[in-house]
Amino acid sequence: MTNPDVISHSQAASVDNPFPPAARTIPIGRVPFLRLASVELRKQVDTRAGVWLLVTIAIISAGLITLPLVTGTADGLTFTNFVSAASSGQLFLLPLIGVMAATSEWSARTALTTFTLEPRRTRVNLAKLASASYLGMVLMVVTLAVAAVFNLIGIVWLDTGGSWEIDRPIILGTAFALILLVAQGIAFGLAFLSTPVAIVAYLGLPTVWSILSFAIEPLSGPAEWLDMTNTLGTLMSGLMTADAWAKLLVSVLVWIGIPLSIGLWRTARREP
Amino acid sequence: MITATNLTKRYRNSIAVDDVSFSAEPGRITGFLGPNGAGKSTTMRMLVGLATPTSGSSSVLGVPFHSLENPGRHVGVLLDAGAQHPGRTGRESLALSAQLMGMPDGRADEVLEIVGLTAKEGGGRIRGYSLGMRQRLGLASALLGDPAVLILDEPSNGLDPAGIRWMRGVLTSFAASGGTVLLSSHLLLEVEAVADDLVIIGRGKVLAKGSAAELLATKGTSVRSLDDDALSRALTIAGFDVTRVSDGLSTSAPVADVGRLALEAAIVVIDLHPASNAGLEELFFSMTAQHGREDVPA
Repeated sequence: MTNPDVISHSQAASVDNPFPPAARTIPIGRVPFLRLASVELRKQVDTRAGVWLLVTIAIISAGLITLPLVTGTADGLTFTNFVSAASSGQLFLLPLIGVMAATSEWSARTALTTFTLEPRRTRVNLAKLASASYLGMVLMVVTLAVAAVFNLIGIVWLDTGGSWEIDRPIILGTAFALILLVAQGIAFGLAFLSTPVAIVAYLGLPTVWSILSFAIEPLSGPAEWLDMTNTLGTLMSGLMTADAWAKLLVSVLVWIGIPLSIGLWRTARREP
Repeated sequence: MITATNLTKRYRNSIAVDDVSFSAEPGRITGFLGPNGAGKSTTMRMLVGLATPTSGSSSVLGVPFHSLENPGRHVGVLLDAGAQHPGRTGRESLALSAQLMGMPDGRADEVLEIVGLTAKEGGGRIRGYSLGMRQRLGLASALLGDPAVLILDEPSNGLDPAGIRWMRGVLTSFAASGGTVLLSSHLLLEVEAVADDLVIIGRGKVLAKGSAAELLATKGTSVRSLDDDALSRALTIAGFDVTRVSDGLSTSAPVADVGRLALEAAIVVIDLHPASNAGLEELFFSMTAQHGREDVPA
């Protein structure tokens, strides 16, 4: 027993008693949903994987937003175009944060802690949905700010038209699409409960479906309703009609509603 | 206060926990003892709502676990020290739980200090932690909400002997402050050293329960004197069983009777004590021998 470090541990415990009788004084309150959601948000960005994914998104967005400055024609350099350019990387990568938010509870087995601190598991999953959507919105706001700076650069140095016109249907549609894709990421993560399987399924299944429906003639009709790539494309181009909203709703029910239901059911039953 | 009532957990073709009932009282450490695969972990998981019992029920502080508001503030749980995100720092994983429970900001550092992890260790990623450090972090996490009840599954796993002694100190002072401790182990000596009450389980069934003193009480006395032959005769005449052992006599007589007989016979006693306590180990092995398992699923 010459390890001084260990000996100091045992002394510390006996010298000052960390549990004085009747010291439980901090009042016990319920856990509000907003607090649960903010903890879930923190969990999405406090791991190395989360940080790197955000850094990657920032780098890719920066690259994509610069592209119009280099290649675009002068009249293409508008605020709305900058926003669209920057968002495409986020639309692709941000859902992976959703996937990881759902799967890491099981792959890192933190579900053990998470569900003993909040036994209502569906509430935890809803907090994940809310916080990941919020993260998407924060990114959108940052994108809008950066796009504004780039547009200013275009106006001042490149002498472009630099229209400040905000094409609201496009920007709102893009923001909404981002939320839907993040929700899809979480839904797939919850349904598969394994990071690699969920990512492959999230990226692969819709693509396979798109290819199939393109190649096989009889599928092209249903595909208008069931292909989220199509329906989100319409949403992001700001060309929504009543018919397009109905198609979006159906595709969302299939690609988000079904996996999310499976995921909530699996989470509720699974023993961590 | 923890109560389990007829808890049963059946998996597809096996029964993991079979009609288990016991209670753990405040101010006491209850040792939950059994060989690997006996159903200790499954029982604890049911107590904290991670597994649903096939039948039976349990309560913590008088209510089912899932009815507790902010359960982390009532019950500290350590089920598996390995179940922590390797990419987070120890301090961050504590801070997350503290935030969720509504504990003040400094609480993570406080519990790090209680469990003897330095600020530098707390700032390191869990990926690099030794098993002992993870165990300390797990205990820190259990203590975080300043709970009234601790439920700990094999908390001494991976701790060095000094660490184990330190853990005993922490649990003893926690119980002394009025807290309830339920602590599982497959190591008898470890539980014997710290538990006030015992629940012994094998193959899913409770084999024995009661206060440690009761379960460990042994009848009989060991005695050595300057004239063992005379003492042996005196004991036999008084109607007690006597056997010669290498270092004196072993008898069924209580200590006081042996002393009185020796005094009456004017025999000088040089060693007199209750029969050496073969202790929990013997009890444990005798009760679980037929339940010993080689093929323990993880």
